Amino acid sequence: MINAFRIARRELRGGLKGFRVFLACLALGVAAIAAVGSIASSVIAGLEEDGAILLGGDAALRMTHRDISPAERTWLEKSADVSRVVYLRSMARSDRTGKRSLVEMKMVDNAYPLFGALETSPAAPPTDLFAKRGGVWGAIADTALLKRLGIEIGGRVIIGDAVYEIRGTIDREPDRVSGARALQLGPRFMASAASVSDSKLVQPGSQVWYFYRIRLNDRDNLAAWKTDLDTSFPDAQWVVRDRGNASPVIKRFIDRTTLFMTLVGLTALLVGGVGVSNAVRDFLTGKMQTIATLKCIGASSGLIFGAYLIQVMAMALLGIAIGLLIGGLAPALLADLLRDALPLVARIGVYAQPLIVATAFGILTALAFSIWPIARACDLPAAGLFRDSIARFRGVPRWPFVVATVILLAALAVLAIETAFSRVVAIYFVAGSAVAMGLFAIAGILIARAAKLAGSVGGTGMRLALANLHRPGAPTGSVVMSLGLGLTVLVTVALIESNLGRQITKSLPERAPGYFFIDIQNDQVADFEKTVSEVAGFREMRRTPMLRGRVTRLNGETAKSENVAENGRWILRGDRGVTWARELPEGETIVAGDWWPVDYTGPQLVSLSANSAAALGLGIGDTITINILGRNVTGEIANLRDVRWGTLRMNFLFMFSPGVLENAPQTHLATVHADPEREAGIETAVAAAFPNVTTIRVRDVLETVNGFLGKLGLAIRMTAGIAIIAGTLVLAGAVAAGHRRRVYDSVVLKVLGATRRRIMGTLLLEYGLLGVITALIASVIGSFAAWAVVTKVMKFDFSFDPLAVVAAALIAIVVTLALGFYGTWRALGQKAAPLLRNE
Amino acid sequence: MKDDNGIREPMVLLDGVELKLDSEAGSVNILKGINLEIAAGETVSVVGPSGSGKTSMMMLIGGLERQTGGRVQVAGHDLSTLDEDGLARFRRDNVGIVFQNFHLVPTMNAVENVAIPVELAGMDNAFDRARAALSSVGLEHRLSHYPGQLSGGEQQRVALARAIVAEPRLILADEPTGNLDGGTGDSVIELLFSLRAEHGATLILITHNPALAEQCGRVIDLQDGLIGSDRVVA
Repeated sequence: MINAFRIARRELRGGLKGFRVFLACLALGVAAIAAVGSIASSVIAGLEEDGAILLGGDAALRMTHRDISPAERTWLEKSADVSRVVYLRSMARSDRTGKRSLVEMKMVDNAYPLFGALETSPAAPPTDLFAKRGGVWGAIADTALLKRLGIEIGGRVIIGDAVYEIRGTIDREPDRVSGARALQLGPRFMASAASVSDSKLVQPGSQVWYFYRIRLNDRDNLAAWKTDLDTSFPDAQWVVRDRGNASPVIKRFIDRTTLFMTLVGLTALLVGGVGVSNAVRDFLTGKMQTIATLKCIGASSGLIFGAYLIQVMAMALLGIAIGLLIGGLAPALLADLLRDALPLVARIGVYAQPLIVATAFGILTALAFSIWPIARACDLPAAGLFRDSIARFRGVPRWPFVVATVILLAALAVLAIETAFSRVVAIYFVAGSAVAMGLFAIAGILIARAAKLAGSVGGTGMRLALANLHRPGAPTGSVVMSLGLGLTVLVTVALIESNLGRQITKSLPERAPGYFFIDIQNDQVADFEKTVSEVAGFREMRRTPMLRGRVTRLNGETAKSENVAENGRWILRGDRGVTWARELPEGETIVAGDWWPVDYTGPQLVSLSANSAAALGLGIGDTITINILGRNVTGEIANLRDVRWGTLRMNFLFMFSPGVLENAPQTHLATVHADPEREAGIETAVAAAFPNVTTIRVRDVLETVNGFLGKLGLAIRMTAGIAIIAGTLVLAGAVAAGHRRRVYDSVVLKVLGATRRRIMGTLLLEYGLLGVITALIASVIGSFAAWAVVTKVMKFDFSFDPLAVVAAALIAIVVTLALGFYGTWRALGQKAAPLLRNE
Repeated sequence: MKDDNGIREPMVLLDGVELKLDSEAGSVNILKGINLEIAAGETVSVVGPSGSGKTSMMMLIGGLERQTGGRVQVAGHDLSTLDEDGLARFRRDNVGIVFQNFHLVPTMNAVENVAIPVELAGMDNAFDRARAALSSVGLEHRLSHYPGQLSGGEQQRVALARAIVAEPRLILADEPTGNLDGGTGDSVIELLFSLRAEHGATLILITHNPALAEQCGRVIDLQDGLIGSDRVVA
């Protein structure tokens, strides 16, 4: 072992020559994984430390559509400070400009905020900002609302029947993430909860949420307080959340984003692994004479293996260290970006856990991909090493090395799965990567064999090109692998993006209505329908009753997240829209069971969307209990519907038969189709006649969703970029490895009378063939991966976009050709003599 | 070789040829004004101490190097008027070269190495000709071997086959036996002369071996970049 170290130390004096791609590959992959982990850790640390600020209290109780009872409130105030916040969605109108905007209303009491500070411009205490002066309530809002309405601070807005004076704009709302809905469709509007009654917005069945934030007198006693709450009110319908889990939405978002980006980082590392393997093989090719000499003077294979493994791992540690440095500093480097992008304050720092994980990935990758070529070089007989370099690294090393490689690759897979937020996704990723790498390895072999079989097809150029693909020592395998993996990522991303874009720009507007109107009261329905249908440009209206409820029991058993499939847990997490109907809504189809008769009056029946029924493990004849306005309504599942969410129609997971819900306090939801150029008239007419009705412009929703998808697309592109850079690096490395020999070959051909055009033509054919075949295979694998992500993860319909694939494939071919040409052209323009002399 | 007026043109004409190469230590005058005429069909050996400019002169004649002064005319072509591709075509049509280090393409087997010049020249039956050429150098049993699988003598015989396969008018051989043992070297030289005679090509042979030099019809002795002597072998 000492000898191995001694030899390694002496050899390392030669410096980093030949290890640049090796270092870059490892550093890039490790940096990506370390950066993603470090950023996630700093955000999660912020989430945990600021839990009470983000939640607005040590604990928060959420009630849907109805308030808590005075007795419950008294109980809460017994051991804590309590702040009540009411969330609604409504329309705000400027009394001066007449412009309107949907607003996300947050109506607070004097105790707000219990934690953190509300920052406004101008700065003032909330009580001053919200006080009623001269019959007018004070309010603050996002600057976006002021812009939309064309007003300044001091301007007035009318919401429902109440008039508000805008006294400031919101700079930072400490608990913004803890609202009633994850997706905000309009700017925030904040005012006193006491003004809600003036607005007359809250009617029976209105879409309103009541939040009770608690600051415990004994803040360390949270767990006991929660137990006490559960014991005191076992049947309460509130959803309780505490500071330890302040924002599950953000936490889930971070976890999912981290998972996705870590997997991309891992892809970069895997692609880099190919580069590591290539670099080690090229390094050893240059060391053949040394290895032969060492063997001749008595060094054992084991000693040589040790000496070169030490050298390679020393370089690997350097690459990993560079990656850790970049990754570890990422939160600090991106501090400004994080501050602007996140609703919370990330705790910038160096976090050990993600760095340890990244180090483990780096070491395992370096080992897994370098043992094979080192073992091969050391297994060759000394005499053979003195001969020419071809055919040196073919074949399989001795079995212990094969076993070691397999164990290391398995360890890499286990680490990827165990450290992932979602094991299922990680397992798919590992399996997908293994299959993709296997396919490209096979493809490399098949391309070489096919080239050999084709033999002397075509002219000299084609023959030389084909021959270059199957020569001993040809880089066909590593080029196909690196180009293939990089291109697979590119095709996958291109197709995902094209599908995301298509969802918004192509499929939705054709079928989507112009407006959604919510909170139409029962007694307004007739007038509303009349008003809307009389507006010029009106085409069609659909209306349905709308209630909200929480699933409480499945087949009589308490509904628990852990008892249902992962993709069904969101259904149990909060309130879901519920309706009742006599007839099957147009455009929906029954996939199991039968729709009830129009005049059905029997026991309560319920219709579920087929997908959610499957996710909840329910079928025809099972029962589901939904708590609506405090009352448990149980129905037997009569049929399952195929619900198409992408249509933006009124889609409901749960539809009850007429009966109980018919008489429950309810509002109505309507969709209206109108001529696009005249649809604004409908909005004006509704706003004038029904100030309590909230208008949602589908175009505004699409813009919001588009903005989100745009950011998502950017994140996908950026992270995929890392994997593609890694692929290009490896490809460049693979091409560069054979470059010197290629230039020499080209010069010899030139000596024999080949023109540059002819030599470049051969290169063009060779790399063109490689590029085209690899692009074809990568297109198939990439399309499959994109299909899986779009249909299984994003739950959209998949549409194959040949243009996106062709564009990605063309890029790959151009890159391959450019790299293949790099340097050769210049070398060919120079005199042959110096190269021939030096040989 | 005759021009349009029926006047016999030399195969090689060097007229005041100079070659100055720049190096880190300053520029070096390698050839200092060479005047030389070699007729078609002649066999000429070039001798002289190391560094006297023998290889440089051969590189100039083969269009692998460009003179810095004077004129180089080979097989009727003024090489200074040709660009790199023009020089490549000139070699393809006129010259066969044998190097001391063989310079075979390591990733091509013997028959492929030999077939290239024929293919480049656009002649028919490249592989048949290559096999015939390899057979003429006694390597018909090594057709599919790669250079790394051949001995030095075998590699040089492949190089020899490659040099003559396209039937060039000029064969340049730069110490073709320099890397071979005596016996092997002798057999390679024997082959070189017999093949040359068979094809009637002009041969320029660089060698350090006086006995080998004397086998040619003419011996040119280069000394420090100038022709020291130029004599016909009796």
